[in-house]
Amino acid sequence: MEDFERQLRDALARKEQPPSLEARVFAAIAAGESKSWTFWRWEALAASVLALAALGAHEHMVRERAAGQAAKARLQLALKITVAKLSKIQQTVRTSTEE
Amino acid sequence: MAPARSATEAKAEAAPEMTFADVLRANQSMVFSLAYHFLRDRGAAEEIAQDVFLRLYRKVNDLEDARHITFWLRKVTSHRCIDYVRKRGSQSSIALEDTAEPSVIEQHGDPLLNRRLRQLIATLPEKPRMVMVLRYQEDLMPEEISEVLEMPVRTVKSHLQRSLAILREKIERSMGDIR
Repeated sequence: MEDFERQLRDALARKEQPPSLEARVFAAIAAGESKSWTFWRWEALAASVLALAALGAHEHMVRERAAGQAAKARLQLALKITVAKLSKIQQTVRTSTEE
Repeated sequence: MAPARSATEAKAEAAPEMTFADVLRANQSMVFSLAYHFLRDRGAAEEIAQDVFLRLYRKVNDLEDARHITFWLRKVTSHRCIDYVRKRGSQSSIALEDTAEPSVIEQHGDPLLNRRLRQLIATLPEKPRMVMVLRYQEDLMPEEISEVLEMPVRTVKSHLQRSLAILREKIERSMGDIR
């Protein structure tokens, strides 16, 4: 049995690795790192685009609100003028009726 | 899980100044040979060895010392080889007689008998085959094999006994009595 086990040890002795293995491992590591760097760059680009879109949407909302408030102010002013004019006309009519 | 060692022993074996390149150079023959003896396919063995070292590169900071690294490499290589064969499934495998043998670090014994033994080992089912490779390539004890392959020690011993009986019978039939 010992002889047979010795023969098995001889048969399964370690082999020399292919000379290209080390270079292949380092190439795979470098490829993996460049892939993750590329992924990181795409992630950063996507985040920038989203941030710009959010900023644009916010500015648009602020501008719309400002325009709405200006229109409201104009309408209020127009109503005030109309009320004042109507009061004046009413007063003129009342004065001429009394005379 | 790596077998328990005292902190002093572990530190003595640790080599903090070891770079990844040093670890690769120290272990590439072991990893490649495990895969080659299991698969008998040089290209696949090189592919698996490359993948295992790539995983090691990502994991190396979590491993405590040189001994832990060797244990981790044996474990990952063994499981990766078994998965490879299972995934390959019924796909046609290359004819064993046609494979070019990588050179052996130290050649002993009868080259013809060695070749025949390797061919016969390649015919064993996956787990018993990996048990045989770990036992006779790496000279691991059944307890160590049981940790690497995550199987009970008695299963390892039973695989060893059965595989030895099968191989002995086949080799005797094909090459005559080997004492």
